Amino acid sequence: MIKAKRKPLDEIFNMVKDYSRILCVGCGACTSVCLAGGQRETEILTQELSECFSQKGQRVEFSVFVTERQCNAEYLADIEDMVKEHDCIISTACGVGVQYLAEKYESKPVFPALNTMFIGLDRDIAFFEERCRTCGNCKLGYTGGICPVTCCAKSLLNGPCSGTNADGSCEVSRDVPCAWNKIYERLKAQNRLENILPIQPPMDWIDKGPASFIQSGYEKRYRK
Amino acid sequence: MTVIDNNDAAMNKIQKIISNKKGVIKLSLSACVHCSICSDSCFLFNSHNCDPTYTPSYKAINSIGRIYKKKGRISDDEYKEIGHLIWDKCVLCMRCYCPVGISIPILISAARSICREKGIYRTYDGNGES
Repeated sequence: MIKAKRKPLDEIFNMVKDYSRILCVGCGACTSVCLAGGQRETEILTQELSECFSQKGQRVEFSVFVTERQCNAEYLADIEDMVKEHDCIISTACGVGVQYLAEKYESKPVFPALNTMFIGLDRDIAFFEERCRTCGNCKLGYTGGICPVTCCAKSLLNGPCSGTNADGSCEVSRDVPCAWNKIYERLKAQNRLENILPIQPPMDWIDKGPASFIQSGYEKRYRK
Repeated sequence: MTVIDNNDAAMNKIQKIISNKKGVIKLSLSACVHCSICSDSCFLFNSHNCDPTYTPSYKAINSIGRIYKKKGRISDDEYKEIGHLIWDKCVLCMRCYCPVGISIPILISAARSICREKGIYRTYDGNGES
């Protein structure tokens, strides 16, 4: 799932300091799960912002509403009336949710309260690790289920480079394991080393621009 | 004894949500013929041995239906039961299919919004209300 982290309070406050009726919209999906933008986190944010405004002697009206998913039009409809009653919107969704809100309510300033970090796994409660950069050309089948694009500091498709330390760590840091060393060890254990012998062609970086795609089988629905 | 918390601020917000969604809730509740066809399209229903409490229509009727019929004035325990039903037994994947055209996810999301006003929601770290 998408993992996000709250921005520093000062940064959020600076974005909204000139408004007096602020709607904080949380998201019930990924940012709730990563404990950054659900009901509780959104309420805490408004309390902290309220305190910032009080210290400046400003009186501000806050409303909180958590949509089930800010990346889905059906759920955004729930806040339509509330949007009209407020000067600006703070979103505690990922960057997608912020942009969808801004697109749907074009006349309202929409501010992000979170930094969207990555697509990652839940190692433990509130402890996340990046595992996918959504490159659009998955190589995991050949690399023992370890992503060289995400886990190699140089995103090498044909590794390792010559920067692997003797203990299997990466030259960028002793704390960072060399992804290609891990790939080699795992494939060796599975007797599949031939998987990484062919040279992989350069990646087709299809996600360099804003991409879109239609799931196979649904093409007719959108054909013009 | 059933205790009904009449916290005014929360109840006002709940009444507002009910009133905004009244049309769709009323129509959906009366249009549902209990055919249970929606259960086929629910992956949770299928992966839980066809437990009828995972039937999408059951989840909608026993969450927003219950809240709507009592105008939001149900006990905290009932709200907690509803919270369990709509968070633990539905992921809002929006894949449920109703031959009559009822949007079950919209009903469940309305129930979730109401539960949030009562402080009942999934917290994902084991701490909190729900």
